[in-house]
Amino acid sequence: MRGGHSPFKPRPRRSWRAPGELLNFVLYFSCVVLLVLSRIGHGAVEEARDGFAELSAPVLAAASKPVIMARGAAAQFRSYIGAFDEIDRLRAENETLRQWQWRAKLAERNVTQLRSLLNAVGEPALHYTSGSVIADARGPFLRSVLVNLGREDGVRIGYAAINGDGLVGRTVDAGDAVARILLLSDLNSRIPVVVGQASVRALVSGDNSDELKLEFLPDRASVKAGDEVFTSGSDGVLPRGLPVGVVTGSAGAFKVRPHADLQSLDAVSVLFFDTPTLTRTDPPAFAQDRALSASADDDDELPETGPSASASPRPADARIKQAGAASAPNEGIVQTRQ
Amino acid sequence: MTRILPAVSVLVVVFATALPWGLPAGATFIPPMVVMTIIFCWRALPGTVLPLWLAFVLGLLTDFMSGGPLGFWALMALISAQTGGYAPLLAGGRAPNRLWLVWAGVAAGIGALSWLLGAAYVVHWLDPWPFAFGTLVSILIFPLLLRLLVLFTGGLPKPKFQRGST
Repeated sequence: MRGGHSPFKPRPRRSWRAPGELLNFVLYFSCVVLLVLSRIGHGAVEEARDGFAELSAPVLAAASKPVIMARGAAAQFRSYIGAFDEIDRLRAENETLRQWQWRAKLAERNVTQLRSLLNAVGEPALHYTSGSVIADARGPFLRSVLVNLGREDGVRIGYAAINGDGLVGRTVDAGDAVARILLLSDLNSRIPVVVGQASVRALVSGDNSDELKLEFLPDRASVKAGDEVFTSGSDGVLPRGLPVGVVTGSAGAFKVRPHADLQSLDAVSVLFFDTPTLTRTDPPAFAQDRALSASADDDDELPETGPSASASPRPADARIKQAGAASAPNEGIVQTRQ
Repeated sequence: MTRILPAVSVLVVVFATALPWGLPAGATFIPPMVVMTIIFCWRALPGTVLPLWLAFVLGLLTDFMSGGPLGFWALMALISAQTGGYAPLLAGGRAPNRLWLVWAGVAAGIGALSWLLGAAYVVHWLDPWPFAFGTLVSILIFPLLLRLLVLFTGGLPKPKFQRGST
């Protein structure tokens, strides 16, 4: 019996058959712990996420170049295929736009006259900086993108992000050189808006689908499909007058189709729009000279623009970052001036 | 080579999934499911090394890349890796078609668990279509990925017969 177990004594039962099982348990348990910490928004998780985004940004920026180029080439190829149809469509659109240009000039003149009569204070222009999307962080229950703009560029949490077509989302994380933009279509996105010519107030919220929900419309609101939707600015976070999308669907189930193609974002611009709430919650680690301030001192230096929120020409020191061969990101910004 | 290749290949795919491909909203579940498929394949292939802890790390990287909750894809990667390790037993061999069947079951499970866990996480019923579509695509591309990985490793080892065996 030497060296062996006595048949009368029970064998010592091991709680773990192998160290591997303990490791498995630790790994599964770690997943659960991480999920819980993420759910409650623990600071360590957010710090780790920000740190990783900073670390991976150069790799992603380099790797996204060929992808963006390939997408550009594919888009160009598609446009070659349908070139003749596109020319006809653009001619028709040009005719319509010429009429609109004439109407816009007339309206602009009227507005200027009325504002001078009322001694209305002009809204300050919005400064912005532009960059490229370097990572498409869109999961099954998240819609966000990473851009190569960060605190070094003056970007802070809560700033509106737009592209040539309209509002894209807002910044929810800002590292030194990279920022995360929560897209309009995300479940957590809530944007106060005004709808149509009657400026009916409502809330646009994302549900991870291509179209946005239009909620909290007042009873008997005069809203119909095709109405334009703009930011109301009533949250104090986003400037008012940014184009969001167009109303679709029917009464009781109105949706909003965003102007911006949220699935294939290449270049975005981040608007410097500060609010007292933001300055209280976020340390002032940004370039003051490039950010819009509501103070009277800064207003003097800013060019006067129209009545709605508008994007002013980029300040001289604000740079445009491009990760790939995306088309000039500033081209579309002009449209947001309307 | 068989020790480094699995980890490196999954790492490359994890980074690739984060790039701005311009996928439609209904296809956002596909890239992480491709990562899970490759983890499963590497674990099921003989002679390759992809420990569970490494699968966990790679899943965690997928979490970081996707911007979602940490631990979500790490959990799915663990499930993929663990079932991948048992796949030859479950399939009664390493025949590609049988492994495909096992993966179909595992992917369906992962898809359903992801949907439920995602809904519980955001406390909101999520649209099941992207989950179902991603799962379906991962099942459909499994033979292709398996063939590709086998090609990288220089082919599956031939079964060894003992002398005198029939």
